[in-house]
Amino acid sequence: MSFLPGFLPGLGLVKGMATTLKRFFEPKATIRYPEVKPEGSPKFRGRLQLLYDEYGTLKCETCFQCAQACPIECIDMGGVDTRGRYHVHWGPPETYGERRDEQALRRSGRTVPDKVYEHFDGIDLTAVDAVLDEHDFDPKKLLPILEGVQDAYGYLPVAAIKHISFRTGAWYAFIYGAASYYRHLRFVPPGDAVGSAAFDSARPSERRYVDVLAAALSGQAASQRGRDIDDALAGPAQNKPRPKRGGDKVH
Amino acid sequence: MTVVARTWQNLTLPGRIIFGLLVLGGLATLALAVLIVFSPQILSILQANLPIVRFVVAATLLLLLAPPTAFVIIYMEMKVIALMNLRLGPDRVGPFGSLLSTVHGLKVLMKEDFTPTGADAIVFTWAPVVVFLATVMGALVIPFAPGLFGQDMNIGLLYFFAVGGLTVVGLLMGGWSSFNKYSLLGGLRSAAAIISYEIPLTLSVVGLLILAGTMSVNQIVLNQAGWFTDWYVFQQPLGALIFLIAVTAEANRTPFDLTEADSEIVAGFATEYSGMRFGFFFFAEYINLFVVSAILVSLFFGGWNAPFPFPEIHLALDPASLGVLLLILVAVVPLIGTLALAAPFWIAKSSMPTWQALVIGFVLFNLVAAVAVFGWLFISFDFVAGLFWFLGKTYTFVFAFVWARGTLPRVRIDQLMGFAWKWLLPASLVNLFVTAAAVVVVGAGRGAP
Repeated sequence: MSFLPGFLPGLGLVKGMATTLKRFFEPKATIRYPEVKPEGSPKFRGRLQLLYDEYGTLKCETCFQCAQACPIECIDMGGVDTRGRYHVHWGPPETYGERRDEQALRRSGRTVPDKVYEHFDGIDLTAVDAVLDEHDFDPKKLLPILEGVQDAYGYLPVAAIKHISFRTGAWYAFIYGAASYYRHLRFVPPGDAVGSAAFDSARPSERRYVDVLAAALSGQAASQRGRDIDDALAGPAQNKPRPKRGGDKVH
Repeated sequence: MTVVARTWQNLTLPGRIIFGLLVLGGLATLALAVLIVFSPQILSILQANLPIVRFVVAATLLLLLAPPTAFVIIYMEMKVIALMNLRLGPDRVGPFGSLLSTVHGLKVLMKEDFTPTGADAIVFTWAPVVVFLATVMGALVIPFAPGLFGQDMNIGLLYFFAVGGLTVVGLLMGGWSSFNKYSLLGGLRSAAAIISYEIPLTLSVVGLLILAGTMSVNQIVLNQAGWFTDWYVFQQPLGALIFLIAVTAEANRTPFDLTEADSEIVAGFATEYSGMRFGFFFFAEYINLFVVSAILVSLFFGGWNAPFPFPEIHLALDPASLGVLLLILVAVVPLIGTLALAAPFWIAKSSMPTWQALVIGFVLFNLVAAVAVFGWLFISFDFVAGLFWFLGKTYTFVFAFVWARGTLPRVRIDQLMGFAWKWLLPASLVNLFVTAAAVVVVGAGRGAP
């Protein structure tokens, strides 16, 4: 049409009509939704949401995989792990205090007493530095570093992991993830591991098992875990009433 | 019984009257048929009053055929505009969504029929009736096929314009009685637009009338028999163009649809209408589209004439001579045809179940049979061929109108009026003078002195 003079009356109409007629035969953009599902990314998992299992426990294990995978690092978490004994954080440290705020904890659905956090600091880090120096501060040699630290301290203190992260440049979450993968690496002192068998479970069968286990181990750990172990010792024999959780029916 | 009683209870007074009239009409038709069979005198009386009978039958048929036509065109509009917008359009109800407009029509019947407070109830009620009837009455002079027309009046074209002008009365009635400023604006706009465009519309065909020498639409169509070069559009190109533009405004179509301009004055005269009254306005609009395309085709594009002289074919086929063999043929041919058409698919694709092949064969056989029957009708009956060409051309123009609606934006009211008075009217006068001068100089027209 370009050879025609632009002032020709009605040329615009003809051009417009030609455009719509061309569109008439072109492939259509409509997606017939219920039959044809839209194609998303294969790793798309939908909306982020904290889920609870049937016992009311958070399913999130604070594994940080989602936070690591997030390309813009918008995922942020803090709190204790599922066994109620370990305090981890992801994200810039200057916001930790903010997120330990009572409001923030209530919003995240967790109770994190500050007391738990206290024993994370205040350890002597020279042993960690020695281990790191031995392995040339190389994050690729993470397992030997972690094993060396555990040999030095008997377990992996949070402050040590933080220090490893700081010196090697590896993300805290990577180190925590790697350490939590190996069975022989611990986050708590070995003595605690015995006592930690006794914890308050909502599941009746598990509670019974734990009670029996605690009763068998009572001689070693009684002094460390006062209330739980005492309860376990008093145990099923005397039918001492426990605090009931929801869904636990008594006939 | 309770269902019938409840339905009767739910009907409004006009509904009861119309339903009663329908039953009475059905009974009268039945009685007439019985009387014709048993006493030949009735037939002779009917034959003596053939024009009246013809009028009644034609009017009834047109009224009955109007809603289905509207359904087809509404579906066409939805689908075509959707395809032009790169959408799929209706595709859920019926094959390719083709029943959606019908469902809309039925839905409209079930909606509340509301008269606003302050409205002039009687005028408000009758406005859609006037619009609908004026539109359908216009179709009375359209020749659909050789011998297939409502009335062959010698003032057919004049009648068409007169009845077409009645539409504006209905629109004004609706706009005025609604007690709503948008409705009033719509009604006044429609009055202004239709009256302005009536003049170039009527003047644009005067040149054609000089050439044709008659106002009977049927005769005008007959004059255009032969090759497509005999169509009046080639002798009156300017007249055809003016007629096309003016008729677009007359039918309230985009780009001249200021009457209902849904984005500025809600829906114009139809703002306060609901239920079947709105439905009648809606139907009238689309029937008007068909009627307008039909009259355009009849006047300028040869009506039911084929674009070229179709070779005469005589089939020496007399089914009656076969006797009993015909019955056997009717019983056996579908079976054999289905099996024969299913066999290639069944053989070619081993994974296909037998029933699937049979279904394909059955569908294919139906297609083949339909094409064969249509071909036979096309060759044997003039009116089938005429109807084919007429409907083909008419729906081509309906498509063009829909196409324009899918493309063009609405003009302003001053542009609308300025175009009618400053351009179309002078152009139609020029067309008239040039035609008249040519007829005087060449002496070619049928109406030349």
